[in-house]
Amino acid sequence: MLRAALAVILISSLVAGRAEAAGWTGGDDQPTNPLPCTGGAGPAASKPYDGGAPANAPARKGKKLTVVDIPKLIGIGYFNATSKGIADAAKELGTVTAKTDGPTKANIDEQITFIDNYITRGVDGILFAANDPVAIAPVLKKALSKGINVVGYDADASPEARQWFVNQAQFNGIAKSLLDNMAKEIGEDGAFAIVTSTFTTPNQARWIAEMSAYAQKCHPKMKWLETVEAQEDNVLSFNQATTLINKHADLKGIFGMTSVATPAGAEAVSQSGKCGKIAVVGLATPNAMKPYVNKGCVKSVVLWNPVDLGYAAMHVMRAVADGTLKPGATSVKAGKLGELKVINGSEILLGPPFVFTKENIGKFDF
Amino acid sequence: MRLDARTLLRHETVLAALVVVTFVVLANQSDRFFTAANLLNQGRFMAEVGLVALTMTFVIVTGGIDLSVGSILGFAAILVGVLWKKAGLPLPVAMGLAVGAAGVAGLTNGLIITRFKVPPLIATLATLALFRGLAEGISESRSVRGYPEWFYTLGQGEAAGVPVQVWVLAGAALVAAFVLERTTFGRATYVTGASETAARFSGVAVDRTKLLVYTASGLAAGLAAVILVSRVSTTRSDMGTGLELDVITAVVLGGTSIFGGKGTIAGTLLGLVLIQALRNGLALAGVKGDGTIVVIGAVLILTILVSNLFGRGGDG
Repeated sequence: MLRAALAVILISSLVAGRAEAAGWTGGDDQPTNPLPCTGGAGPAASKPYDGGAPANAPARKGKKLTVVDIPKLIGIGYFNATSKGIADAAKELGTVTAKTDGPTKANIDEQITFIDNYITRGVDGILFAANDPVAIAPVLKKALSKGINVVGYDADASPEARQWFVNQAQFNGIAKSLLDNMAKEIGEDGAFAIVTSTFTTPNQARWIAEMSAYAQKCHPKMKWLETVEAQEDNVLSFNQATTLINKHADLKGIFGMTSVATPAGAEAVSQSGKCGKIAVVGLATPNAMKPYVNKGCVKSVVLWNPVDLGYAAMHVMRAVADGTLKPGATSVKAGKLGELKVINGSEILLGPPFVFTKENIGKFDF
Repeated sequence: MRLDARTLLRHETVLAALVVVTFVVLANQSDRFFTAANLLNQGRFMAEVGLVALTMTFVIVTGGIDLSVGSILGFAAILVGVLWKKAGLPLPVAMGLAVGAAGVAGLTNGLIITRFKVPPLIATLATLALFRGLAEGISESRSVRGYPEWFYTLGQGEAAGVPVQVWVLAGAALVAAFVLERTTFGRATYVTGASETAARFSGVAVDRTKLLVYTASGLAAGLAAVILVSRVSTTRSDMGTGLELDVITAVVLGGTSIFGGKGTIAGTLLGLVLIQALRNGLALAGVKGDGTIVVIGAVLILTILVSNLFGRGGDG
């Protein structure tokens, strides 16, 4: 009995040991669509509407709405910013009460429990940023079946589990922007590594898949050393970045794929004294990056405006609840942001990614 | 059971009264709380923690602890996906193997604790990291999706209007209560926790009892893993993180002494119900996530205080 147990344990350790944690094996098996190497973002794809629909939704046109926003986690700058955008839009519309609630860790189980509780409480609309696109689908479908409007932003769920998804920027546009900026800083044959949240978080997984395709197409000589997970945790991101710096002598650039990983990566580079020798390019909020950009450690920060993202999501929710945004629409009016285009069937595009540099970062405060 | 002051002031009775009071208060705060649909739904969410809490009661009664249940759950969850998708085994076989592997994991815990005399806290702390690492390595960080429809009835389906996993939990609770209170194995568990030396000298098979108890803990985590995968329709290597804290809270709240020798299944179930009711009821009443955690912590401390103040009621 003891021997059999030991045998099983040893065999499973061998199996696990063969797994290559270093290579990029994540992703969501969806096709990639790399952009052309020169020129800006290409034209947006158009597809028939593939979102879900609420069952027996009550007529909400013109009535007061209660909307709950459940992001991946609360307590980080990025989602504080989206929450602010949602609150701003709610105040501007005047007919919506919006609340942000969510888990304190980016954990899909807890997020599902939060959503389920709000379904029981009875809300009119749910805004979400998913920790896992498939795991969140059953509870969102339950919300739809109770007549609740469901709109996602930042990180999508399976299309039939929600009505619309507000995408901050096209996945291939972000990939192109990140890689082009990195290539400008470290050269066409530099070596880089990536710090991400988890290999299965929907938005990060898509971006990295697109980056992989774009790098093969337009920067084939750049060396992709490693991709590591850091769960949107500050300390873990810092440790992972420091490990990367110590492990790879030829590391010239670090990509931070979450708004937590990029400042942590910049701090790791700064503390190991490699400012200027190792480039840090990534997605982050301007406030977190101001010290590093002003010091010259980080040259460019790619993002969109998360406050605008939350703002747009709330306007889309109001339009969906009112019935003014129907399947098959090609654009939607989002308050001060103007007309936003519909792409990929049920995605609403916020706009092209924005690059923060030393010159303009001082103008932003989030 | 005589109805005297000592019985009335048993921890379990105090807890039962607290549960009733909580239900009344929460039902007042929100009219959605005390509905059949909501209560049954909460039963669904409770099943995974509940199954593991049942076996954790045995573990803590022996004076030990098992911190690795969350990692074993993650490990078993990944195995279900990997064995089915990658190795191509039929899904029922994959499920059975995953639960079996979880049992082996529990057995490993038991062996480290009995053969190598490592304190349970340290041994299971180490295996917590070991099994989580195995789960991440085997999964290669991909999640497995796309299970056949019948698989989802376990976690998302109903039988006679009651969620399937609630039936499973109820059946397991009955079995666990019977084993703990009516069999010699159950008595052996109590005496091992009360005084291990006395147990050994009385001829009780202490090591075998511990091995069985930790293996059962692993098996329960494996079964909970299968139910969880069925409920969220995907497997992820970070499943079950933090489960051990929820489980131990429920067990300790239920009156099981952390030093061993005292505890009942009924108490564990009451503790489970209380925590789930608080989590759900407070959320429905409009309290945000962080507030709920504070309340649960306060309830835990208060319950233990009250129970200690009113004397050591009941001896299991």
